[in-house]
Amino acid sequence: MITAQAASLAYLDQGRTVYACQEIDIEVKANEFLGILGPSGSGKSSLLYLLSGLKIPTSGDVMYNGSSLTRLGDEERSRLRIREFGFVFQQPYLLGYLTSLENVLVSKPNESRVDEALDLLERLGLDHKTHRHPHELSGGERQRVCVARALLGSPKVIFADEPTAALDHKNGLGVVRLLNNMRSGGSLVMVTHDPSMLDEADRIVRLADGRLDILN
Amino acid sequence: MKSLSDTDGTDHPQSGSPKISREDLRPKRPRRILRPLAPSTYLIRNAGKTIPLTAVIVLAVMLVSGIIAMIDSIPYSIRTVYRYAKEETGITPRGDPSLLPQLVATIKKQTPVPIERIIICRASSSLVRSIVGKWPFIMLGLTQSDMRYYVTRQGAHEIEGRYPNPGAPEAIISRPVAKNLRLGSVILKPDDIENYAPTPVKVVGIAETDRWFMINSVEFQRDNYFPPVDDALIFARNSTDQNKLDHWTVNKFKGQRPLVFAYFQIEKSTREMFATLYLILNVVISALAIVITFMMGMLMNIYQSQRLVEFGLLQAIGYTKNQLLKRVLLESVSVIALGWFLGLVLTYGLLNLASAVLMAPKAYSLDVFDAQAYAYTIPIPFAILVVATFTVVLRFRKFDPVGVVERRLV
Repeated sequence: MITAQAASLAYLDQGRTVYACQEIDIEVKANEFLGILGPSGSGKSSLLYLLSGLKIPTSGDVMYNGSSLTRLGDEERSRLRIREFGFVFQQPYLLGYLTSLENVLVSKPNESRVDEALDLLERLGLDHKTHRHPHELSGGERQRVCVARALLGSPKVIFADEPTAALDHKNGLGVVRLLNNMRSGGSLVMVTHDPSMLDEADRIVRLADGRLDILN
Repeated sequence: MKSLSDTDGTDHPQSGSPKISREDLRPKRPRRILRPLAPSTYLIRNAGKTIPLTAVIVLAVMLVSGIIAMIDSIPYSIRTVYRYAKEETGITPRGDPSLLPQLVATIKKQTPVPIERIIICRASSSLVRSIVGKWPFIMLGLTQSDMRYYVTRQGAHEIEGRYPNPGAPEAIISRPVAKNLRLGSVILKPDDIENYAPTPVKVVGIAETDRWFMINSVEFQRDNYFPPVDDALIFARNSTDQNKLDHWTVNKFKGQRPLVFAYFQIEKSTREMFATLYLILNVVISALAIVITFMMGMLMNIYQSQRLVEFGLLQAIGYTKNQLLKRVLLESVSVIALGWFLGLVLTYGLLNLASAVLMAPKAYSLDVFDAQAYAYTIPIPFAILVVATFTVVLRFRKFDPVGVVERRLV
C-alpha cells in the first residue's frame, strides 16, 4: 500500500546536514496496524510525515499504491491526504469556534456526512457532547473528537503521531484501542515512544537515530 | 378523527411497554448545521475579531465620507443660495439706463430658444448669512404680476402671508431666507449698512420653496435706491433652454458693456474657488487611506497569526494552500464589504443628523446623498483588500503545517 524505498529526510543545521530519517525501507500493508516505536528524537514522527506525504524525502522515494509521492505536487499530495488518509496528532488540535460535530466534519469537506459523524461520536462516547465546543471538553474528549475526525469517511490509512502524548496512560490506551477497533478495514500507522500502547499492533518497527532498528 | 398525538408525525406504540432504542437516545440532529469552514461560520463565531475589523472599516468610511460631505457642504451651500439663478438669465446695462431696451430687443430677436417671459426689474444689494460668512445677495424689485410669476417659477405654490403692496416697505422672502425670521420681522433698515433701506422693510410674506430669494415692489426700489437703472430677467421655457440661453447671452455680450448673470458662471467660479481646497483634501484623504490600510493590514496580520494552528491543522489533514487562501480572502472580502456598506449606511444617518441639528437651523445646506463623498470611500476597501491579500499570500507562501502539528511554530 505505502512503501518507503531508501527514503531519507535531511535538513541543514548551521551548515551541517542532519538526518531525521536515513535510508528507510518499509512497507505499510493494507489493513495492518503498524507501530513505529522509538525514543524522542529518533525520527519516528519524520518517518510518519514521509509516509503520509506531509514531507517529501530528500532522497529515496515513498510510493502510495504504486504512485510516487515525491512526483506529486503540493496540491496533489494535499488532495491525496484528505481523500485517502486520516490524521491524529500529538496535541488534540481542534478548531475552537466549531462544535465537536463540526470539527469532525472538517476532515471531509464538500460531503454530507453528518449522520456518519454523529455515529462516530456516539461510538466514541461523545454523543452528549456533539454540540459542545473544544473548551467545554476534557483533554481525553478532545482527543476522541480528533479520532472521530480521522475516522470520518473510512480512510485507507490512519496516521497517528503520538496520539496518547497529552493523555494519561489509561485514556491513552483507550484512544489507541478506539482507533484500532474503529478503523474499519483501513491501515493504522502509529508512532509512540511507549511500547505498552502497541499491544494490539500487528507489526512494530523500532527507530533509533533516524535508522530502522528492529522489525517484529 | 386524529388525536393531537397523532399529528406530530411520530410513531407511537399502541400497547405494551414502550421500546426505547439507541436511536431515540441519540441527540436530535440540528435542523441546520453551518458549513464548518464557510467564511460566515468563522466570522459569526469569532465576533470578537470580526467586529473590531469591521468597526475600523466603518469608522474609516465614515471619517472619509463625513469629511468630504462636510467640505462639500460649503460649495453646496453657495450653489443652494444662488440656485434661483438657474431659472433666469440676468442682464444689466451697467449703469446706462438707455441701453436696456436695445438689449432686450436684441435678445428677443436673436434668442436661440423660445422665451417665456422677460421681466424688467430693479435690484438692490444685501447680505445673507451663509456657511462661509456673509454672502452678497439681491433684493429684487418686481411688479405685482411679475412677483407672482417669479415666486411660482421658483417652485413656491404656497405663501404664508401676502405679497408686498406697490411702493410699500414690504418684502416677500423664501423659506430658507426666513430662517430665524417671521412675518413682521424687519430685514432692511436705515441703520444697517449691510442690509440698508431708508425705511424699515418688513417681511409680509414667506414663500414655501427651498430656493433662496427676496422680493419687494419695483416701485419701492425705484423710489429708494440709486442708481436709477433697470435690469432684465429673461426666462426660457425649461431648464435645458435656460442653460442654452445663459451660454448664448454670455457669448453674445462678451466684451460689451452689459453684464450677464448666468448660473453656470456661479458653478464655474465656485469650482475654481474650491479647487485648491480639494487638492489639499485629496492629499489628506490619501494619507488617511494609507494609514487606515496599514492599520487594517497589521490587524489582519495579528489575527492571522492567532490562526496558525488552524491553518496548520487544516493543511496537514489535506486542505490545499489555495483552498485556505481562498477561504481567508473570502473572509476578508466579507468583512471589508460589510464594513464598507455599514460605513455608508451610518454615514448617511450621521449626515442626516448633522443636517438636522447643525446645518438646517442655520439654513446651511448639506447634501446627505453626496455622491462624491461616497465615491471617495471606494478606494478604501480595495486598498485594504490588496494589503490583506498580500499579507495572506506572504504568510501561506512558505507555511509549513508540520511546524504547527509538531508545535515548532505555535
